[in-house]
Amino acid sequence: MAILIDEKTRILVQGITGKEGQRAAKVMLEYGSKVVAGVTPGKGGGSIEGVPVFNSIKEALHLHPEINSTLIVVPPAFAKGAAFEAIENKIPLINMLTEGVPVKDAAEIVHACKKSHLRFVGPSSIGILSPGKCRLGVVGGEKEVIDKIYKQGNVGVISKSGGMTNETAWVVRQAGLGHSTVVGIGGDIITGSSFTDLLELFEHDPQTKGVVMFGELGGTYEDQVAEMLKRKKFTKPLAVFIAGMFAEKMPQGISFGHAGALIEGSRGLPSHKIKMLREAGALIASRHDELGEIIKGAL
Amino acid sequence: MKLYEFEGKAILSKYGISVPKSTLYKAGEKISFKEAVVKAQTLSGGRGKAGLVKVCSKEEIDSIAKEMKSKQHNFELVSNILIEEKISAENEYYVVLTYDTDTRSAILALTLHGGVEVNKFASTVHKFQIFPNQVPDFAEIIRLSGIRHDHDEWKNFLSSAINCFFEEDCRLLEINPLALSNRKLIALDAMIDLEDEAFFRHQDRKYPPRQSGFGRAPTERELKVKEVNAKDYRGTIKYLELDGDIGFLAAGGGGSITCMDALTSVGGKPANFTEFSGNPSDEKVYELTKIILSKPLNGLWIVGAIANFTLMDTTMSGVIKALEEIKPKFPIVVRRSGPHEKEGLEILHKAKQDLQLDMTIHGAEMPMTKTAIIIKEKAEEFRHGNTHR
Repeated sequence: MAILIDEKTRILVQGITGKEGQRAAKVMLEYGSKVVAGVTPGKGGGSIEGVPVFNSIKEALHLHPEINSTLIVVPPAFAKGAAFEAIENKIPLINMLTEGVPVKDAAEIVHACKKSHLRFVGPSSIGILSPGKCRLGVVGGEKEVIDKIYKQGNVGVISKSGGMTNETAWVVRQAGLGHSTVVGIGGDIITGSSFTDLLELFEHDPQTKGVVMFGELGGTYEDQVAEMLKRKKFTKPLAVFIAGMFAEKMPQGISFGHAGALIEGSRGLPSHKIKMLREAGALIASRHDELGEIIKGAL
Repeated sequence: MKLYEFEGKAILSKYGISVPKSTLYKAGEKISFKEAVVKAQTLSGGRGKAGLVKVCSKEEIDSIAKEMKSKQHNFELVSNILIEEKISAENEYYVVLTYDTDTRSAILALTLHGGVEVNKFASTVHKFQIFPNQVPDFAEIIRLSGIRHDHDEWKNFLSSAINCFFEEDCRLLEINPLALSNRKLIALDAMIDLEDEAFFRHQDRKYPPRQSGFGRAPTERELKVKEVNAKDYRGTIKYLELDGDIGFLAAGGGGSITCMDALTSVGGKPANFTEFSGNPSDEKVYELTKIILSKPLNGLWIVGAIANFTLMDTTMSGVIKALEEIKPKFPIVVRRSGPHEKEGLEILHKAKQDLQLDMTIHGAEMPMTKTAIIIKEKAEEFRHGNTHR
């Protein structure tokens, strides 16, 4: 098993002719993922890394009806258009790597995916990896890195930070464990798949025996996990690290991120998230590298 | 981008929301209002309690405005003063439009208990989901919020506010207080945060650059890093000056924050916060390293999570170039990993020998955050050595 992607995943890349799209296609193929088609409007006809390029998803689906997931790697201004094309064509899994997508666009995409019952991961996702089965996106980067860090196993990994996905998977590996599925959900305020959405899938995945998650300051996605644990909707061991404690100790009212509404109060602060999660029974790592040993001890 | 009150109100009136008559203060200018409100324009809140909002007669405006101009608020210099006509409010409400992670959508939230003490009435706030290009059920919003009178006025106001929020790509649009005066709703204050990522849809906007978002005037080093960053489009570097003694050179957004957490939790005092990401050029990393090293330090921590694509050998050469010029005596602790790790670490070992540096070098085998305690202890030892010499 594993969640979201496996040997049966057939990938479409939207924006395959761009620099980032091309690199994503290359590293996915290198890992053995089945990338069957690419789309860039107006650039159909050619091929990238041996993958045929089409003008539209409709054209691609006509020749490759087996496509069941799409990776969106287009500039932010085109992200909403690309996502809606995928939604109209009912691609069941939409993974968006694009960073800097306006929040209004993200909210519209999330809403439309919900209505159509499609799975959306991102924006600002680093990708999804089920080791030994499939890589969607660029999680793990170069072959040298992905081969060293990731190994099939029974710990699920969810990370808001793309840059910390490798490191989080690595401390699990150093504890002698492997990974079921690794998901970069992105740190945007409006996200397609939150921690709880994925924990629900991990709960029902027999390969996954426990989960580690990397959270950050801001928003309430971590608070929702605490609620989920209290309601016993996730029952496997869960180890959590929340980044950004230092920002609370900064002098001079130094603020990270956007202005919050006056009425929000302490919501979004790492200390608040940690308190909620600890009370709900999650295992808290006060230093990031402790995540590995903590989950090992709980399995 | 956070907007000043006067900029926010200009946007609100564009969408048909009433705001008081006002002018930006110029010395000696004639004001026609009988009673005025003098308001210092700052990005951070809490102006009332800091004495930066004052009601006065028109004769007093000059002296009050002059006094405010000389002030700082949360280390922010007061540059503009807004002079407004005093509105007598029968009631004060609170309205906010923002994005919400609970519903994963935009929301409209309001309470009939607005004003400076709104925090005490958080439990009376009603929240409603709103969507672009979709007219909400105003009657339902009005009913659930407990609004008894002036339904048409409220409907017009809410419709304009929602329009403004989506059309202008706001992250936050907060009005507190929203006054009811002679059956009309008037925005007495405005806090707007425009989304930077959506500026490509608003090319005509011309707002002058904001003061540093860090609650104080930017330092010389911070300005220098901004300049270096703008000169070269490859990669992004950020720098925030702090008052500790450990230089901090970290890669990646999440990684930098995680390392700062690790260092401060063991009692290490960072001399700066920094982050470089998106594969910056050697030159950029070199300039950033030089700026970090320009402070008196007792240690330097070069750290980052395992990179996906950033080549270790090429990025390390920018750091080495800066170290060659300065040849620091203080301890340096490195933890870097990613593609070409072996080659990257070899370059560091060579530089250590050539420049006779007190450098501890780690690759992937050492978890990133475990090196926090190493640099903290080494820096401490070095500091002690210096004071006893």
